Amino acid sequence: MKTSKKIMLTGNKAAAWGARMAAVEYVPAFPITPQTEIVETLAKWFADGTLQGKFTNMDSEHSMFMAAGSAGATGVRVFTASSSQGILHGMESLYTITGWRTPMVIVNVSRALATPLTLEPDHNDVLSTRDCGLIQLHAETCQEVFDFILMGYRIAEDADVCLPVLVNLDGFYLSFTREPVLIPDEEEVRSFLPLYTATQPVFQASRPMARASAVFGGATYTSFKLQQELACRNAENCFNRVAQDFEKHFGRLYVPVEMFHLDDAEYVFVMSNSFATKGKSAVLKLRQQGIKAGLLKLRLFRPFPGEAIASALAGHAKVAVIDQNLAPGMGGITYPEIVTSLYACEDRPDKILSVIGGLGGKDIDDQDFMAIIEHLDKPDSRTPLYLYDENDVSGFNRLQQIAKLKEAIS
Amino acid sequence: MWRIRMHGRGGQGIKTASQMLGSAGFYSGFQAQDFPLYGAERRGAPVIAFTRISKDAILERGPISSPDIILIGDETLLNDPQSAPLCGADPSTVIFVNSDRMPESLASNFSVTAVNLTDLCLQHLDNRMVYSSALSAAGARLLGIIELPDLLQAVEDELTGVSSQVLRGNLNLAREIFEIIQPAVISEKANSPLIAKSLVFPQHLPVVDGAPIILDPGNMALRKTGNWRVERPKIDYEQCNNCMICYARCPDGVIRTAPDGRPEIDYDHCKGCLICAQECPGHFINTVRETGMFP
Repeated sequence: MKTSKKIMLTGNKAAAWGARMAAVEYVPAFPITPQTEIVETLAKWFADGTLQGKFTNMDSEHSMFMAAGSAGATGVRVFTASSSQGILHGMESLYTITGWRTPMVIVNVSRALATPLTLEPDHNDVLSTRDCGLIQLHAETCQEVFDFILMGYRIAEDADVCLPVLVNLDGFYLSFTREPVLIPDEEEVRSFLPLYTATQPVFQASRPMARASAVFGGATYTSFKLQQELACRNAENCFNRVAQDFEKHFGRLYVPVEMFHLDDAEYVFVMSNSFATKGKSAVLKLRQQGIKAGLLKLRLFRPFPGEAIASALAGHAKVAVIDQNLAPGMGGITYPEIVTSLYACEDRPDKILSVIGGLGGKDIDDQDFMAIIEHLDKPDSRTPLYLYDENDVSGFNRLQQIAKLKEAIS
Repeated sequence: MWRIRMHGRGGQGIKTASQMLGSAGFYSGFQAQDFPLYGAERRGAPVIAFTRISKDAILERGPISSPDIILIGDETLLNDPQSAPLCGADPSTVIFVNSDRMPESLASNFSVTAVNLTDLCLQHLDNRMVYSSALSAAGARLLGIIELPDLLQAVEDELTGVSSQVLRGNLNLAREIFEIIQPAVISEKANSPLIAKSLVFPQHLPVVDGAPIILDPGNMALRKTGNWRVERPKIDYEQCNNCMICYARCPDGVIRTAPDGRPEIDYDHCKGCLICAQECPGHFINTVRETGMFP
């Protein structure tokens, strides 16, 4: 009897359920808001016997990612999660373990980076891991979080890839947001994602091996780095293969970039993660007003599906790339990547506007989307466009007065 | 431009030699550049250093693959396939070897100068075998474009902090070598037209080959590090009481127990750190200077 069920879950719980249904065998953990609920939930399931294997509290994210990579090298299915400052603290380990080429799934719950310290999301944390050699899948809904973890293991463990997969979800907007998630039947999951058997040599007590040899000489280093590059690029085809198989089992098809009302769109928003929902809502409202808007959602971010993005955006007149991140002195991080993918395209958009918004969880609302449309219509608008308005300025001024209150009194 | 490549071992002052020669060239009014190349190894491991001296701006960086002069500070390196001191040499390359005899296999192919720097160093430097001043003096003199006062100034500047006695020894050593050696004839290398490399698109490999994984343990045995030794530890078996402390202390595990229970040094792999000689409670391990062999 099939026992699939639809239940209300936060993004964090959906992530924990993804790990549970993947039958993960080892979870090294370190808590950080807004990710903690994931590892708390898994800790409980390991403690009560729901999950078989080992859950270990580590002393830091740096150790946590090293433990995850090492455990992956013993041939067990590994899951771990982090966020924000934690991801940055583990950065050295992330580069290191991707070079080990051991599969695993990592969940990052996006949270903006200090300073100033904050808890709400933007994407500077996940994009800082852009060049580590990880596969990155960005989720818009709690269902995508769950589904991407199952798909993530298939991609990570594929013999053509053998790399960690990072699944990203926005803190608060997804991590603490409950919505219905379909948890499929366990047998169905097993037929899509069998229990893990390593396709590469693994550490065994009786069989010493070296897994992270040092090299001296650029040519040897280059050889290994190019292998990482090829493996990472292989992951795009692998994603498509896995997505088709996923559809066969579960009926949902994921393509690397989602096209929402794109066919006849004159204005296109390029977005990712949970705020894409807000973008879709704005597209529908704009269309009611007779403005032909559409949205392109980035799902697979590494490897970067440049050709899929270029063919989706080709022929559309005006494109706004909305970056919920900031590279000070440069602007949006994904903007140049999108523009690059379009460079060789003959019918590339007339205008590609860089937009910075949603920093530190700042909302992007319908009026923001309308402002973007207006700027797309202006002949020469300044770029990047910051989604920052009069209310933000007056609120900031009020805060400044409070910060200077004592000075004002004396 | 004159391109000089120096070969030696960690601890022999090869990097300093390249800097002395670079400074000497600079003081003589030329453009100069120097650069060492070594790994995470230690005393005794092969070291390469480079000096470029030019009348014009130097638009090169990094290793020198086609040297005008090769200075070999340690003749045992001629046997070392990893050091490969003759790599990139052509018949016009001037070769200098620190040796007390002229290596015939070299002399038939190259213009070679051989001087026993080791004995001169021992004599001037209070029994120390550091070739920095000696090798830079040899290079400066072979080049024929550097004045002796500039060389001596460079030696002095690069040895800041040593005692006046050590400095005096180095200056005397450099002066003596400068006098012994005659300038070489260095022919300008002809510029050949640029030829494009044929590039390949890499092929994806299974992860066992694509990641830096070593499945076969014990392959260090293939890398014979015995020629890193400048001095050889020699167990005096007349006195040795088989306490095996040398065996326990050897950081490279190259002392084994022979069938008769005595400690036995594997000279193919012993790097000559001499920790065993230091640790032997009865001081029954002597040290003997290694002398080179040509292939």
